Formats: sequence, structure tokens, C-alpha cells
Amino acid sequence: MKTTSLPLAGKPAVPVRPRSRLRHWPAALLLLPFFAMLILFSLAPMVWVLVNSVHTEQGLSLANYNDILSSPFYRQAFDNSLRISVWSSVIGLVISLLGAASLRRVSGRLRRLVVSITNMTSNLTGVPLAFAFIILVGTNGALTLLLRQWGLIEDFRLYSSNGVILIYTYFQIPLGVLLLYPAFDSLDDDWQAAASLLGARLWQYWRYVGLPVLAPAILGTFILLFANAIGAYASAYALTQGNFNLITVRIASLVSGDIFLEPNMAAALSVLLMLMLLLVTAVNQWLLKKGARHAR
Amino acid sequence: MRAELYHRSVVAVLILLLTVPVLATLLYSLSEHWGATILPDDLSLSWYLQLWQDSAFLAAFGRSLAVCLGTLLLATLIIVPAVFVVFYRFPGLDKLMNALILIPFAVPPVVTSVGLLNIYADGPLNITGTPWILVGCYFTIALPFMYRSLANSLASINVRDLMDAAHLLGASTPVAFLRVILPNLRKGLMASLFLAFSFLLGDFVFANLLAGSHYETLQVYLYNMRQTSGHFTSAIVMSYFLFTLFLTWLTARFSK
Amino acid sequence: MSYVEASGLAKKYGNATIFQDIHFSLRKGEFVTLLGPSGCGKSTLLRSLAGLTDIDAGCIRVDGEDITRAAPQKRGIGMVFQSYALFPNMSVEQNIAFGLKLQKLPGSEIARKVADVIRLVALSGKEQHYPHELSGGQRQRVALARALVVEPRILLLDEPLSALDARIRKSLREQIRDIQQRLGLTTVFVTHDQEEALTMSDRIFVMDQGRIVQEGSAEMIYTRPATEFVARFMGSYNLLTPTEASRLLQLETRGHLAIRPEAIQIFTPGQAYPAHLSAPLPATIRQHQLLGNVIRYQVQAHGITLQVDQLNRRAEDLLAAGTEVNLMIDQQQMREVH
Ligand SMILES: Nc1ncnc2c1ncn2[C@@H]1O[C@H](COP(=O)(O)OP(=O)(O)OP(=O)(O)O)[C@@H](O)[C@H]1O
Ligand SMILES: [Mg+2]
Repeated sequence: MKTTSLPLAGKPAVPVRPRSRLRHWPAALLLLPFFAMLILFSLAPMVWVLVNSVHTEQGLSLANYNDILSSPFYRQAFDNSLRISVWSSVIGLVISLLGAASLRRVSGRLRRLVVSITNMTSNLTGVPLAFAFIILVGTNGALTLLLRQWGLIEDFRLYSSNGVILIYTYFQIPLGVLLLYPAFDSLDDDWQAAASLLGARLWQYWRYVGLPVLAPAILGTFILLFANAIGAYASAYALTQGNFNLITVRIASLVSGDIFLEPNMAAALSVLLMLMLLLVTAVNQWLLKKGARHAR
Repeated sequence: MRAELYHRSVVAVLILLLTVPVLATLLYSLSEHWGATILPDDLSLSWYLQLWQDSAFLAAFGRSLAVCLGTLLLATLIIVPAVFVVFYRFPGLDKLMNALILIPFAVPPVVTSVGLLNIYADGPLNITGTPWILVGCYFTIALPFMYRSLANSLASINVRDLMDAAHLLGASTPVAFLRVILPNLRKGLMASLFLAFSFLLGDFVFANLLAGSHYETLQVYLYNMRQTSGHFTSAIVMSYFLFTLFLTWLTARFSK
Repeated sequence: MSYVEASGLAKKYGNATIFQDIHFSLRKGEFVTLLGPSGCGKSTLLRSLAGLTDIDAGCIRVDGEDITRAAPQKRGIGMVFQSYALFPNMSVEQNIAFGLKLQKLPGSEIARKVADVIRLVALSGKEQHYPHELSGGQRQRVALARALVVEPRILLLDEPLSALDARIRKSLREQIRDIQQRLGLTTVFVTHDQEEALTMSDRIFVMDQGRIVQEGSAEMIYTRPATEFVARFMGSYNLLTPTEASRLLQLETRGHLAIRPEAIQIFTPGQAYPAHLSAPLPATIRQHQLLGNVIRYQVQAHGITLQVDQLNRRAEDLLAAGTEVNLMIDQQQMREVH
């Protein structure tokens, strides 16, 4: 209500003096250790990486980047990382999509069981995961023997690109299911009914309604899976003892190997890795915005 | 019906995909030998007995527990008051905090390690190779889970009204926080602690790069055992897996 | 000559029978309402007609063709859902054009048909809006347009108005009925609102617990309920048990006696009571309730409470609680129900 225009309002009220923002300083003290830890162990290393990536013995320069981009060895690392991340994310995404879609159509008990299994197996990552796969599909793995005996395969090369993709896909699936499953709740069963009465076959419903509605969730999940894969180190390292050429493996060996350490090179590789992540996220945001009109 | 059969089959395949590696490892860890045959010969617990009497394993497990529990204790002491202060005194900061806590989540540990190794290898804070650097890193791993969970709990109660009511009844701010707010956070806090615990236990990158053999955690120990018998390593994997299952179960119990 | 013929339809979920023994036939261009309380199986029956739910037994024929096992895509049935089920990723225009696009019609024809139907449901100017940018009534009309534009043989409407507020509901009711008559479309309309059913339908099927318990014109259902359930469901019927009927009116009945509240007249003591009528029934006014143009009195006679509706003519005529009056009940309007 406006009271200022009333003639009876009389003397203007004494303005309340805005209380100083500093009056909460004891409370602010409690934030200090929080920020200290965050700066020491998250922001400072980031800054170090950024700064030192452009440092060489000759001072400030982009020589590190230049070296990386002109080295076939590093380019292979990027190739491998990208290929493995994209493939494992795409395969993991497709499997999780199919799984999450079907999960909504089975009985509650089975559904709860699967959700617990996904939760449980999402813990199986890194070194233990690599070991489990060595046991299962390694040179003398149980499944390898089985398939070889049935004559289905000559030999499965776990310690190769395909092996790494297989392992990565395995840890993408639980993550994908857990991220996508809630998104399916936004699909109304009546949409499918309505579409079918308008003449749409099942695939047409998914093509024109289901998947477009899920698109933001699918894109978002893809980004998370991709980021998860491209930053992963432990499983590939444990599987191949560092012999498979990935960016993360390269970075780690440049700072922890026994032979020669090149921390600045590692920093430049790290920055390129982060840029790739940023790029993918930016594309995702752009795609989301493009299709955002109907998003609620 | 056809549709029902299809959905059941898809779910069955999903279960199979997810559980086969676990079951194979379990079977392997329970078998004496598993040569060139599909199924193992004799089942026994001998690998587990051997493992759980191995002092190196017990020591590594103990170190992992120590560094994880230490981190969680520290994180609780730091994060709980901080989230409360943000909600009670500086609600405008929440947005910034949400962005900040995502950084450790978004930056791959390998990248962080590059910086950490170089900052803390010498100088005033020479903590590389000690558990302390792990505590610092693990703090940042636990942070997003704990902050989000505590923020959700605080958002679901009306902090300001509760605090005002407690003040009117004569409680000082710290007392009001401890007696009125904290009990409301307990469940969310416990759930996030167990979740963070299983994440911390799964870390290999930081442990291997920053501490390595100077402070051999469970994951590093497991990696170093790669040349020993596969049965033995699968017993380690299963022991680790069962322990994280236990943590997952606790998380689920507390997040109900 | 019937256009739609359903016989012996039955459906179970596990052990629970949702509906059974459903027989009906519809004439071409007829507007039929399926009326029944919540949970009586109306939606399930409707979805069965559309082929969205399988039935366990029975046969459905449209225009002589057996469609019992036909896929929903092949039935030529349009449906408007209770939730409207508009596709959120498509604009109004795209929603409406969806069915036509699937038929692979040429673009110009699609555009013409869409424009026509948009005019028909009065949505001009909203073509580019998305469902979440529309009001409830507008969404409802988009859903209607989307179902109409493919020119279905039968239109099914599942409580299309239940999510709307009273005023929009009334005007949409008229619009739907108007469009239906203009297109001569055979229509099945589901509702649990008896007023809606009475105002819109050529014929009403009253459903109770998975069975059609009465069918007939609006007048017939309203004035001659066949069962106690229908009488109760159709609104404010006074229902007298056999003992009450004999106490009050000295009538021997086997079932309940149903008397509509407007079939009772109130005579104040001063008012001349027409001598040729049956003996007056002395009663006391207990309460009244203003329903707009009608006043509903609760009156008590022989310890039995009756509802009586009187036209609300003049405020002075309002009878205060405690007033002693005489009631006159039109024998013609009483019905015995079972
Ligand atoms: N898929 C299903 N499985 C089991 N029972 C169901 C299923 N669908 C509906 N039912 C049951 O069938 C009965 C009738 O449901 P239906 O939706 O047809 O009622 P309705 O008359 O449309 O009610 P309303 O007016 O509330 O929409 C309900 O008791 C419901 O619980
Ligand atoms: Mg219904």
C-alpha cells in the first residue's frame, strides 16, 4: 500500500540506519577454514596449473602447447582419450536409456532391486574394476575361455583400446541409469496413447515426442558421462600399467614418473583437457538453449 | 504380453551386465584354482583367510580408514558451521558456494594433482607423501556431497524462525544452533558422510600420485599386488566391494 | 441402425473386475455420456474402445467392421484425455498437425486443415504458443482440435472439463456440443458430473461398479431413475425406505421411494390449499440453503427430513426455520427404485 500520498502521514519516519554488513564478522570467521581448505586444495592447484602451463625455461610462452600439438605422441593421447570417452559415453548412454525406459515398465520389486544393484555397482570403479575385468575377460579370464571354447572369439584383447572402452562403458552404465531414470518420470503415459490414436507407431512416438522431451536430460547425462570418462585415470592405468596412451596417463607420468618430470608440460596438457571439457559443456548449453522454448 | 516380455528382458540384461563382473570376481576369490576351465574347482575361503592375516593388507586398510575418517571428521567440523552461517547470516552467498563446491567435482583429480605436487613438494607446506595432503584433497571430494545435503536439510526447515524462537526462549546463538538446528541436520549429514566415505575409499589417483608408497592406502596396496595371484587380488577386490556395499546400505538407511 | 455396437465387453486387472457385461449401441452423430462415480471404470472402458487397453471379452464394431483387436492407430478413433496429453515439445500448431503429418498429407493441405480447426475451436493467434504457455481452457481446446483434425469416426472425451473452473466449464460445454453437432460426430463423453451429463447428452449411460445400470435420455434418467444408485447419483433425490414411505405417505412399497425435491410443494398456513388434492402433509421448516434461483429447504415431517426446492421469487417469501407448513407431493412424480 502506498501511504506517502496521504496527507495525514505526517512527519517522515526516521530512516532506519542500514546496519553494517560487518556486524556478522564472528559468523564470517566460521567461513574462514572452509575457504582456506577450498583455496589450498582446489583453487591454488588450478591456478598453479594455469600459470605454469605458459611457463618455460625461456619465460612466458606458449611453447608447451606448441610442443604438445606438434607431438604425434601427445596427439595420440588426445585421440585415444577422445575416442574412448565418446564411445564409452555413447554406448553407456544407449544402454542406460534402454534400461531406464524399461525399468519404468516392470514391477516395483524388480525396479527397486535394479536400482540397488546400480547403486552398488556404481562403487566398482578404478583399480578394483580393472582387476574384476582382468579376471572376467583377461587373457585367461573365465568369459574369454568360455567364448573361446564356443569358438565365438579368437582372442579378446582386454589390454587394448576396445578393452578400455569396455571397462569405461561398465562404469558409465550405473551412472547413466541413475541420472536418466528420474528423467523418465517427466514422460506422461497419455502422450504415447494420444500419439498412437493420431496414427503414430511406437518408434514415431519416441522419435517425435519421447526423445525430444528427454533431450535435455540425455544431453546433460552425456556431458557428465563424457567428463567422467575423459578425466578417468585409475582403471585404464591399472589395466595396462600405464601403457595405454591417454591424456590423464600422460599427465600423471609427467609429474610422477621416475625418469624425467616435466610439470609445466603436464600443466599445459591439463589446461587442454579442461578446455575440451569446457568446449563440450558449452556446446551442450548452446544445444539446450536452442531447444529451450518448450522447456518448463 | 509382448511389451512386458521385452521390458523384463531388457532389465534382465541390464542386471546381467552389471553383476557378471562382480559375481565372477566373487567366484574367483572363493576358488582355490581356476585353470583352463569355465568353472572353478574347489570353493574355499582360504584366499580370504590369507588376506585377512596379511599385515600389509591390514595396515593399508587401517591407513585408508584413518585418512578417510579423519577427513570426514575435519570436513564435518568445518562444513557444518559454514553451511549454517551461509544460510543464517549470508544467504546471498549460497549461489557462490554452489558454484565453488563444483570445482573439485568438475576438475579431474589428475589435473589437481599436478598443481598439488608442485605446490606442496617443498616450501612452507611440505606435505607431499604424508596423509595430510590426502586429507586436504579428500576434503574437496567430500565437500560437494556434504554441502548439498546439508543445504537441502537447511532449506527444508525455516532456519531463521527456529533461531528466533530459540533466542526468545533465552538460548544463545551457539546453543540454539547445537540444540535446535543440528538435530535437524543429523540424518542428511550421516547419509552424506557415508556416501562421501565410499567415494573417498575409491580414490586411487590422489593416493597414488600424492602419497604413493610413503603412505600406502588400500587402493594403492591393491594396485601393488597386481603381480600376485588373481585369486588373492579378487579377495581384496571383494573385501573392498563388500565394505562399500555396507556404506551404501548405511547411506540408503539414513537418507530415507 | 447403429453405428457403434459393443457387446459383452469385460475387463479384469488380476482378480479385480473393472467392468463386465457392457452392451450398448450408438447411432451415427449421437452424443452419449458415460456417467458414473470416480473409479467405476469409465476411463478404462473408454480406453478399451480406443484400443489402448486390451479387453478380456466382448466385441466392438464400428460401421459394421469388427475392430475389437485392431491397433489404436487403425481404429479411426479420436480421444481427448483428462490430462489433455499435449506434447510439450510442440507448439499448438505442431500438436494439431501431428496426426496429419503422420498421414503424409501435402503441406498445403495440412496448413489448411490446421487453420480451419484452429478457427473452429477459437484459438487463432495462439498457433505458435507452447502448451505451458496456455491456460487450462486453451489447452483443452488444443487437445480437442488435435483429435478433430484427423476426422475420426468416433470422438472420445475423458472428463475433458474436470480440471477447469466452473465458468470456463460451462462455456466449453456449449462449444463442444456445438462443434459436435456441426460436424455430426459420434461422441462418447465421460464425466462424473451429472449436471454436465444432463445438459450435453442425447443419451446417458449411467455406470456403477463396472456395469451400465441405466441408459436413456437426460429427461428419462433424471425423472425416472431405475435404481436407488441412479437416484442418489442424479442429485438431491429424497429416498424413502419402505417403512418411511408407509409412515409418511401410507404407501406400501418394496423398494425405496424416490422423490425429486422439486416435486414437493410447500403451502404456508395462510395459503389456500387446493381442496381437490390429496390430504396435506404437515411439516416444519428446519433450514434453508440458497442455490441461486432455487431455495432448498430442509423440512421435517413425521420425524423424516425431506429436501424441497422452491423457486426463489421474492426475498419476502423466504420461510424461517420453525415455520409450520403443509406439503403436497405429486404422486405422479414418485418412483419406486431398487
Ligand atoms: N492398470 C491398472 N491396473 C490395475 N487396476 C487398474 C488399472 N487401471 C485402472 N485400474 C482400476 O480400475 C478401476 C477403474 O478405473 P478407471 O480409471 O476406469 O475409473 P474412472 O471411472 O475413470 O474414475 P475417475 O472418474 O476417477 O477417472 C479403479 O479402481 C482403478 O484402480
Ligand atoms: Mg477416469
